[in-house]
Amino acid sequence: MSATSAPAPLVRRRAWSPGRRRRFLLTVANNAVLIGLAIAFLAPFAFITLTALMSNSQALSADLWPHPFAWHNFVDVFTKAPLWRWTLNTLEYSILATLGVVVSSVPVAYALARIRFRGREVLFMIVLIALMLPPQVTVVPLYVMWAKFHPFGFNFIGTLWPVILPNWLGDAFSIFLLRQFFLTIPEEYLDAARVDGCGELRILSTVVVRLAKPAIVAVALFSFLYTFNDFFLPLLYAGESPHHWVLSIGLSEFRSLHQVQWNLTMAATLLVMAPVIVIFFLAQKAFVEGVTLTGVKG
Amino acid sequence: MSAAEASVSAARPAVDRRRARRRSAWRRRRLVLLLLSPWLAGFAVFFGYPLVMSAYLSFNHYDLLSPPRWVGLANYRYMFTVDPQVWTAIKNTLWLIAVMVPLQVLFSFGIASMLARAKSGGGFFRTVFYLPALAPPVAATLAFVFILNPSTGPVNIILGHLGITGPLWFQDPAWSKPSLTILGLWGVGNTMIIFLAAVLDVPRHLYESAELDGAGPFQRLRWVTIPTISPVILFAVILGVIQGLQYFTQAYVAAGVASGQASQAADVTSGNLGYPLDSTLVYPVLLYQHGFTDFQMGYASAMAMLLLAVSFAVTLVIVLNSRKWVHQGGAAR
Amino acid sequence: MRRVRALVALLVLVGACAAAVAAVAGTSRSTGPTKLTVWVGWSARELGVFQKVVAEYDQAHPNVTVDVVGSINDDKIVAAIRAGTAPDVVSSFNSYNVGTYCSSGGWINLGPLMKQSGISASLFPAATQYYTQYDGTRCALPLLADDYGLYYNKTLFKSAGISGPPKTIAELTADAKKLTKFNPDGSIKVLGLDPFIGFYENVPERWVTAWGAKWLDGQNNSILSKQPGWSQWLKWQRSYIDWVGYDKLVKFQAGLGDEFSASNAFEVGKLAMNLDGEWRVAFIQAEHPKLDYGTAPMPTAKPSLYGSGYINGTIIGIPKNGKNQAEAWDLVKWLTTNTHALAELSNGLRNVPSTQASLTSKELTPDAHFATFLKIFGNPNSTTSPITAAGVSYTNLVQNFATKWQAGKVSSLSSGLSSLDKQLDAMVKQAKGGGVP
Repeated sequence: MSATSAPAPLVRRRAWSPGRRRRFLLTVANNAVLIGLAIAFLAPFAFITLTALMSNSQALSADLWPHPFAWHNFVDVFTKAPLWRWTLNTLEYSILATLGVVVSSVPVAYALARIRFRGREVLFMIVLIALMLPPQVTVVPLYVMWAKFHPFGFNFIGTLWPVILPNWLGDAFSIFLLRQFFLTIPEEYLDAARVDGCGELRILSTVVVRLAKPAIVAVALFSFLYTFNDFFLPLLYAGESPHHWVLSIGLSEFRSLHQVQWNLTMAATLLVMAPVIVIFFLAQKAFVEGVTLTGVKG
Repeated sequence: MSAAEASVSAARPAVDRRRARRRSAWRRRRLVLLLLSPWLAGFAVFFGYPLVMSAYLSFNHYDLLSPPRWVGLANYRYMFTVDPQVWTAIKNTLWLIAVMVPLQVLFSFGIASMLARAKSGGGFFRTVFYLPALAPPVAATLAFVFILNPSTGPVNIILGHLGITGPLWFQDPAWSKPSLTILGLWGVGNTMIIFLAAVLDVPRHLYESAELDGAGPFQRLRWVTIPTISPVILFAVILGVIQGLQYFTQAYVAAGVASGQASQAADVTSGNLGYPLDSTLVYPVLLYQHGFTDFQMGYASAMAMLLLAVSFAVTLVIVLNSRKWVHQGGAAR
Repeated sequence: MRRVRALVALLVLVGACAAAVAAVAGTSRSTGPTKLTVWVGWSARELGVFQKVVAEYDQAHPNVTVDVVGSINDDKIVAAIRAGTAPDVVSSFNSYNVGTYCSSGGWINLGPLMKQSGISASLFPAATQYYTQYDGTRCALPLLADDYGLYYNKTLFKSAGISGPPKTIAELTADAKKLTKFNPDGSIKVLGLDPFIGFYENVPERWVTAWGAKWLDGQNNSILSKQPGWSQWLKWQRSYIDWVGYDKLVKFQAGLGDEFSASNAFEVGKLAMNLDGEWRVAFIQAEHPKLDYGTAPMPTAKPSLYGSGYINGTIIGIPKNGKNQAEAWDLVKWLTTNTHALAELSNGLRNVPSTQASLTSKELTPDAHFATFLKIFGNPNSTTSPITAAGVSYTNLVQNFATKWQAGKVSSLSSGLSSLDKQLDAMVKQAKGGGVP
């Protein structure tokens, strides 16, 4: 007689439903792809860093790992090329341009967003058109204009002023961004201020600016980033006066100045990327907010 | 108070009201002008005037030393019938717009969708994918040309270990634009973040009702996600096309560095734009060469006019077609 | 609001002040000796040589101080002249743009100045006279000349069993094939000769002299399709490339060191033979003095042409809108005609002296390697490239065609050359401002 006394039923986990299993597999696949892509995205940075730490002859060879580690490369770049000069020029350009963009674009965006006047939509259309136009279309006459303009004998070509000054008269992209944001400010705030007897300019400078701080910060960050990395316009105007070069020009000319010392070029590349990455980490939220503002309401 | 006096006293506030309204309208206009004046001035000087001037110069021969000389349609005739490089430049720019832009949009959307789905480590991945977009274009191009060096670059070395003969990348005219595309895909961070925000914004209930209808994950993507974020897709495409038409820095730097890897340094300059074999000679680079190296400013203006026409046409085409498949807000159907 | 307005006003004020200060600084004239700025293409060691010679001028002329700026190329010169920011004296490594400089007046006509100072053009060798003037206007003077010949690695020659440098194209091809060594995986280890146009000093004008081909006819029309030398050269080049392997060559070339670095492919022995200029002698002396090498004229297709080569040279001139033209002319005159200065420069840079007198100066230190190039310079068959109004774009277009040909992208050489002729003529016409013919 078999004692078929049933033992205590084992606790059995219910098999996953096909839906749950498929979801799990998808998640695994999703994460695997993400990890793979992340490695691919980080790889160039790794290669750059490794090359930056090699000696010159090693950088030209097929070696992948520095042997020995040439940390002094990061110091050498400053002596072999006027990196400080380039950095100063770049900062001068970026800071002045960013200031100009913010100061001049906010009023325009506000007018386009919050004040009703005839031709408002037309003007906004024109802003959009200005955004879409490649700079190469206007670059020739602008260059001629700056070349022929010599107030007090001052030569604009060969300096960075032709690139900086237009930013003080409004920038289409920032106007667009700020206008989109200003549209979201509820009319009640402005009405409350109006009732309090504030003139429109007061409202703009106190209430609106404070409310729009994240958008303004985003615009400033974008402006700074764009001008820090700008190559074409500085090349055009300051290309033949090395004293006024910005980092992007200096980096691309590094090779002919110093005969393609790739290790130093990569070290300089890292150094040029570093401040931007640092700023990003410090202002991550603003960056992401700004990028989102550009697109989602678009 | 007599009736006449009463009507007069009633009329006065109306007149006052009208006068007050007119005064406030005038004040508003003055305010608007004040706010807009820097931009209007800038627009006239840095946009309107150059545009008109560009059109004018395109009919002249101008080298900046002697005054412009009227040559009628000669520049345009040269451009369309003789210049051996113009058609190549147009083709190269169109290639980038037709290949690189869609790939960038698809790639960034793909990554954004995967990021939206990932629960753990989302912030880390987001940073990793955004970081390359911060790299200055010149620095990134230099790095890529070096990394993709066919004989000493790490990529071909690793491929060699795996038994694959890597292509000649920036040294091969068939691979130079794909190499630039890879560089472009590396830097899609900005578009990716936009897509991520948009995808995360899609209302949950739309997914839930689709699931109830029996839709699988890919079907949900096709019928819920994509239609809902279609305005953002349109925006990304337009942005990509605009950038494609202006694409200069990466092509210029890559050609210069790739050719300079084993050739003349200070001797004959600018002979290497578009290296190799004019494959990276995009339209803005050719414009720059004609205008600022050869100083044929009239001819460069003619090229600029063509670019203007194409920019308009392309943007118009996209915007007009967008009505067909972009949903302006609201639920998908 | 007031604060914002004040801030804006302050910033504008600061900006205006900065501009004003810069403007004043730019136009103020020092009350001391006249300051001359000279732009040259040399850099690093070569720049030092030039500066030393200029310092002698400085010492001898207390009324001027000369400031030398190096690493200048034609792009910078052209841009500066257009923008009105050109220095007092400019010099360029090559003469390609003389056509544009002279015809546009960007470099002033030196004819009257030469007549005033009693300097005749016959002081300079015939070849250098050609490439310093255009259409009758002489806007430049030669400052040392360059010519090109064959450098060959004697060590590699010995191990390959070749006794002397090749003199004919057939010998060149045979030697190059013998000297080319491959790795086990098929890639190139040592290359006998790099035929690629665009590599180091390889440009069409320096190669085609070996076939004696001309560029222009009497009416200054392009005759590339009518001169057999061009297609002979290109076909020879293609056959050699096919023998080595196009892709292999590209890959090998991408891994070579930069031309003006100490990792120059010839100097480190990766290249057995190379077409190069006479200045390479000084570079090898400085960077790889133990290299066992020889110099010889380039091999030629016809024996009668042997000993000739391509000539070009640094040119010097005075840009328009320069401020101190009189002092600038004195300096230019001294640099280009003073035998001692030219000899010093030639010794230090190993460039060819550019006046008849300095060619035979006793101050020149003899050098066996360098002597080859002096002979090439004096050979009556040595030629230079055409000077046209299109400037450097002229030869660039030919180079562009040659690179397409060497990649196999030109289906018919004869029709390719004919359309190239038409394009070149149209380009010159366009540059002159006439549009399409």
